[in-house]
Amino acid sequence: MSPLNLAVRDAPTGPVVEVKGELDYDTSADLRDLLAALPLKPGQRLVLDLARMEFCDSSGISTLIVARNHAQSAGADVALAAVPASTLRVLRVVGLDQIFPLHPDAESATGT
Amino acid sequence: MCRTGQQSDPHDAGGEKTSDAAFAALLEDSTEELYECAPCGYLSTLMDGTIAKINKTLLDWLGLEREAVVGRMRFTDLLTMGGKLYHETHFAPLLRMQGELGGVALEIRKADGVRMPVLVSSVVKHGATGEPLLIRTTFFDARDRRAYEEELLRARKAAEEAHRQAEADRARLQDALAVLQSSLLPDILPRIPGMETAAHYRTASPDRLGGDFYDVFPIDATRFAFFLGDVCGKGPQAAAVTSLTRYTLRAAALHDPDPVSALSTLNRAVHERYSGGDPRYCTAIFGTLEPDPGTGQVTVRLASGGHPPALVLRADGTADFLPTPGGLLIGILPNAPFAPATTTLGPGDTLLLYTDGLTEARTGEGRSALYGDEALRAFATDHAGRPPSAVMEALTGLLDGFGDGLDDDTALLALGVPAARPTTGTPT
Repeated sequence: MSPLNLAVRDAPTGPVVEVKGELDYDTSADLRDLLAALPLKPGQRLVLDLARMEFCDSSGISTLIVARNHAQSAGADVALAAVPASTLRVLRVVGLDQIFPLHPDAESATGT
Repeated sequence: MCRTGQQSDPHDAGGEKTSDAAFAALLEDSTEELYECAPCGYLSTLMDGTIAKINKTLLDWLGLEREAVVGRMRFTDLLTMGGKLYHETHFAPLLRMQGELGGVALEIRKADGVRMPVLVSSVVKHGATGEPLLIRTTFFDARDRRAYEEELLRARKAAEEAHRQAEADRARLQDALAVLQSSLLPDILPRIPGMETAAHYRTASPDRLGGDFYDVFPIDATRFAFFLGDVCGKGPQAAAVTSLTRYTLRAAALHDPDPVSALSTLNRAVHERYSGGDPRYCTAIFGTLEPDPGTGQVTVRLASGGHPPALVLRADGTADFLPTPGGLLIGILPNAPFAPATTTLGPGDTLLLYTDGLTEARTGEGRSALYGDEALRAFATDHAGRPPSAVMEALTGLLDGFGDGLDDDTALLALGVPAARPTTGTPT
């Protein structure tokens, strides 16, 4: 089991949260806490870079929705970058691929 | 320290004598004093038990004068009634046999009637020819030890009482949970004319409050509704959403049985209740069954909100998913799209609904691979054409085979039209 590692960096479009490791029932609270404390300005885009996310269960999916709610309440936008194939399959089953803008990588999500 | 010359020797020797005397005084060099005032009781008795010698410590404990004891009382006279009996039946025989006995807990009875717990050790003194002469006995004050033991006993009783209370509480909670759990799932499925149904539910949570749900119920004289779904999460929080979901869908279906309409109503209810920082949502397939007594066929209309597609097992031995792409998780958006689908079940056909506990069971070496959609379709194909009860039995066996690879709740619902059935639609 690899624990969850989170890193935040600033892009011209807004914060980029890099999610590394396993986003599951035990670790997703970390991401929720980080999101709750993350300042977002109206018009910004919150990007979750999932390139190095190794696992995501239903609690993890929940946390992605928390991120979306957080961005919306701040008048900001949300996007997922580099969604792993297994998570993308789940997102399609539950219809979330229609809700989240998906980008192949963080660069295209931040327009850099 | 080093000595400096011979002169100091006599002086030193005198000093040693002085300190020896002081030491001896401190050490109670009188053996008589040591015997009389030792921190334990000493007692010497003849072989018949008559007390020959007793020290002051024991006399003080007993509250007796030496004259009243020596030559007048026996060892057993010092004991309580229980002690006397124990002495007769155990102590004396063992002592005769072994010649010594140690650490026996007895009670002596003081002159004022108060009992005092003691630890008694005895040894038999033998003469030159080996004949027993007398018995030497020591008594140790065991009042502190007894208090300690009583404290232990009290603590144990308190712990046992707390444990009993905890067990009672646990049983009460189990009962409450069982009642709540039974409100989340139907006890039995209603009989549907011209159809056969089977369901299975397996919860992975130890409190048996699952996040999966299903139901089948009549909506009017001819039609039935069914649903099956999965609430995100486990335990009581998930069960609360399950409850909301089940009763909302039941009420919505009576109002408007159109599947998309029913799921939309549920979506609004869940979203209104759980939007915010701790979103809760579920996936579900809701559908209606309309048996046609004339043809024996059943029209199925269903819609999915983020739920894995249903499987249709055909009488001809094929099995395929009934795709419902684009249906969104229920409860995350105020207005969510739901995907409708329709199929017709003929004789020998079965509609199978499942939750992802089945398809995401961990299989293979190291439990690293997931069972998956394709494996399920292949399994269903093997059992296509069989009645729902047989399909369910096969799936239950499959779940058993997953063992500890099954780490999520699993709900299964099979709705089928019996194969060799006359066209009247009346079940036998």
